Amino acid sequence: MTKHLLKLIWNKKRRHGLVIAEILVSFLVLFGLFSLVLYNGQNYRQPLGFRYQNTWALNLNSGSDTAALIGKVNQIVGKIRSYPEVMAASLTESNTPFSMNTSNRTMEYEGVEIVSDVFFTDFDYPKVLDINILQGRWFQKSDLTSTYRPVVLNQEAALRLFGAENPLGKVLGSGENPNRVVGVIGNFKSRGEYTPLEPAAFELGNPQEHRFSACLIQVKPGVTAEFEARMMKDLGAMAKGWNLELSYLANQRKSKNQIATVPALIFAVICGFLLLNVALGLFGVLNLNINKRRDEIGLRRALGASATGITRQFVAEMWLLTAIGVAIGLIFAVQFPILHIFDLPTSVYTAALFLALASIYALVTVCALYPSSQAAKIQPATALHEE
Amino acid sequence: MLKNYIKIAWKVLLRRPFYTFITLFGITFTLTILMVIASFVDHLIGNHYPEVYRDRSVYISRVKQQDSLRQSTRISPLTFQFLNQYAASLKSADKVGIVNMFNQANAYSNGQRIKLGVKYANPEFWEVARFDFLEGKPFNEAHIRNRDNVVVISDKLRGQYFGGNGPATGKTIEIDNERFRVIGVVKGVPSTRPMTSGDAYFPYTVSKSNYEKQGYIGSFVVLATAKTRAGRKAIEEEYAEIIRRIPKPLEDDGMRVYHMESEALPYLESWLSNFVEEDGVPKFYSALFLLALVILLLPTINLVNLNISRIVERSSEISIRKAFGAPSSTILWQFVVENMFIALVGGVIALAFTLVVLTMINQSGWIPNAVLVINFPVFLVSILLCLLFGFISGVYPAWRMSRMPVADALRAG
Amino acid sequence: MIKLTAIEKVYRTSTIETLALDNINLEIPKGEFVSIMGPSGCGKSTLLNVMGLLDNPSKGAVEIDGMEISRYSDKKLARLRNQKIGFIFQSFHLINDLSVLDNVEIPLLYRTSTGRSRRELAKEALEKVGLSNRMKHFPSQLSGGQKQRVAIARAIVGKPEIILADEPTGNLDSVMGAEILNILLQLNQEGATIAMVTHDEQMARKTNRLIRLFDGRQVS
Repeated sequence: MTKHLLKLIWNKKRRHGLVIAEILVSFLVLFGLFSLVLYNGQNYRQPLGFRYQNTWALNLNSGSDTAALIGKVNQIVGKIRSYPEVMAASLTESNTPFSMNTSNRTMEYEGVEIVSDVFFTDFDYPKVLDINILQGRWFQKSDLTSTYRPVVLNQEAALRLFGAENPLGKVLGSGENPNRVVGVIGNFKSRGEYTPLEPAAFELGNPQEHRFSACLIQVKPGVTAEFEARMMKDLGAMAKGWNLELSYLANQRKSKNQIATVPALIFAVICGFLLLNVALGLFGVLNLNINKRRDEIGLRRALGASATGITRQFVAEMWLLTAIGVAIGLIFAVQFPILHIFDLPTSVYTAALFLALASIYALVTVCALYPSSQAAKIQPATALHEE
Repeated sequence: MLKNYIKIAWKVLLRRPFYTFITLFGITFTLTILMVIASFVDHLIGNHYPEVYRDRSVYISRVKQQDSLRQSTRISPLTFQFLNQYAASLKSADKVGIVNMFNQANAYSNGQRIKLGVKYANPEFWEVARFDFLEGKPFNEAHIRNRDNVVVISDKLRGQYFGGNGPATGKTIEIDNERFRVIGVVKGVPSTRPMTSGDAYFPYTVSKSNYEKQGYIGSFVVLATAKTRAGRKAIEEEYAEIIRRIPKPLEDDGMRVYHMESEALPYLESWLSNFVEEDGVPKFYSALFLLALVILLLPTINLVNLNISRIVERSSEISIRKAFGAPSSTILWQFVVENMFIALVGGVIALAFTLVVLTMINQSGWIPNAVLVINFPVFLVSILLCLLFGFISGVYPAWRMSRMPVADALRAG
Repeated sequence: MIKLTAIEKVYRTSTIETLALDNINLEIPKGEFVSIMGPSGCGKSTLLNVMGLLDNPSKGAVEIDGMEISRYSDKKLARLRNQKIGFIFQSFHLINDLSVLDNVEIPLLYRTSTGRSRRELAKEALEKVGLSNRMKHFPSQLSGGQKQRVAIARAIVGKPEIILADEPTGNLDSVMGAEILNILLQLNQEGATIAMVTHDEQMARKTNRLIRLFDGRQVS
């Protein structure tokens, strides 16, 4: 029977061309949508690796002030640590988590080169962000005087640099100032939940020498804006003419995540409408085709097809058409993983492919069922009636 | 004849409500999406509050500095000092506004923190950007001379800080621990216009503006108007000449600069230079065109498909027309006109839908202060899109119909 | 072979009720060639449809090969049609998008058979109607007579015991018509039970028995 239907479809290929084109494009649209959603979903399942609740980022912009900046920064962080409302504070650069600023550098180990985010911090960074140290340790006072500059990597960076080898004690780069790995932490997704795992490296800045430009502060739960206002006033008095910009990590995370979710949402809405449009169109076309084929239906019934047999035939024809459309679509779709367009993992593409396949079949089946069951209801006697 | 066609089209619409619904749904939805996108693009790049002179303005938004080997590059807004000295004196420009790009500050009111976007501007800024003053006035040269601590605030900040809609002019507001006298309140600007959007506008002489910084790397940009659209070219050239004359290499902000670029550009180009290095405008329009094509593709195939399937329904009508001597071209035109008519009906509905969607977006606060509108160019583009859509989805099926042999059609009927 | 008892068929629309068949009692024994005549609208086609199980009678009983079918399900009826009955129509009802061979194969698709056996049976049937040289053609490439011969091949491919023909020569000229009748007579000789609706007295006379209908009633 399948062969028979294939012949029927093949012989009508010109008339079916548009339906196939429609299914082909719909399939590709679904493939795109699912790739995007699955990619975001897969990323989202990976935890951030740090805590953002009750955490503030304070940018220390000295403006036109140029005198004794390092001293003032240390005074400021000292003052912040002295408040009972503050649990911990750490000096860092302006590339605080979820901020718009990034800083990166190429790292090299035995010929393997990666580009990694670099965060200059002090001793208290893991305390402020609740970072879990998997291997080794965070920086300690003795690191300030060691010959190698200590570096802490996240898991992703360690994996890309050393593979399965133990990262602890490995020396990165060469020249006058190489880094030595002293610790490894878990995830560190500073760009938000929807981004993939990226390498991150933490370096120690000596608070007495390094001009830090930001401060991360973890406050006790329930701290009010009244405290915040008081703190900002105190700090403002200490750093005359400075721009002190305070933001909540929780808010920044929200707007960072929106960069991923809003386009996906808009895309999904447009796709939804497109597919609804296609579904209605297919439904209409099938309805019209079945009217056109009343003769054939009557004849098949006369020759021994049962009513369910007719329904099955029409649904099967649609499935075969869909198979053709999808097969052509696959040729386009597989180019994405093969040519590494958009740089998504192959697993995402594969899953998206299957989901798109399942949805397109669900879609055409739903569209075909009603017209096909209408076809089965056609009375052979009336369909074959001679005028 | 045209009237006749339209009459038939109308009857065809009414005869099969289900297919009419499918057809109109496709057209309406497609055009609605396109019109919303067009409106959004217009919102981003068109002449809108307060940058109503955009079409005859140029923007100087960045300077690009490179070392001798062009290996290390930095891109940044400029210093007030440089812009005030060279851009403000551009002879070909009518008015030159200087304002900073992104700066934030905090204010506290009733135990709530208010996060503010702050702007430091020169007085001419108010003539380049035409703000609606709900009360009070902008600052002027006198405020600059006296280094007054005055501020113009947005209506949103007035509501947040002072509560209610009562007048705020003359009152004092504390921002980042400094006290300022409010001298005016303006209607808010959506954040999609980064050069003019803010909550508090200060004279550039206030303490935190950092306006005295020398060199090039700074935080300020320029909006300059020309007398006419064509006048922009002269400003662009004059500014290019100024940049060319700067002796290089030069020492700036800890870097030895061998190559330095900065351009005065129309808004679209200036905005696009943040995303693409070269040929921003053609790339932008091709991207828009591609997007429209992708959105149009499925509904068009769908409609062509449906129209072809409906040929059978119409075959007796066609064959009778042909039997009585209508040439194929007439039949072709009849169906094209018919489709364009249906597309126009869909377009009218789409227009209504677009208004609803835009109102929803405006009220959702998705882009604060945004007022998306269907303006005349958007409307014109939409009508053209309607006709194009009708033409594309109608012409192939109509061609198929017009070629139908009379005898076949009569028998099928 | 076919037995109709007190058959009545009423067509109802919202406004009118038409009595298409009125108390028809008819028995066609195995191997008989019966022709049915009558003016337009007398119920000939309806009678044939009832015999062919395409239409249920409003009243009365239909027996095919000794089986009373009024309680049969749609599936069982379909199987019965497929195995016992072959149809021939005035306007051929060939599927234009399928080749001659594929058209003839259709009845075999609704029973269990292999592709090769289908092919062979279809070729055999086409040989019988003298069209084995046209197997790859499409219906649009054939003359009316040839089309009808394809339809006959399709009707006999499943080796049914009954052939029902609804004005098989109605769309053909007299030469071709005679040709088709000869094929039917030949099939009858080989054992098929045939009921044929016709307008042509001469043709009718060549069959075993003539049934005349008028206004839904059997008049002879």
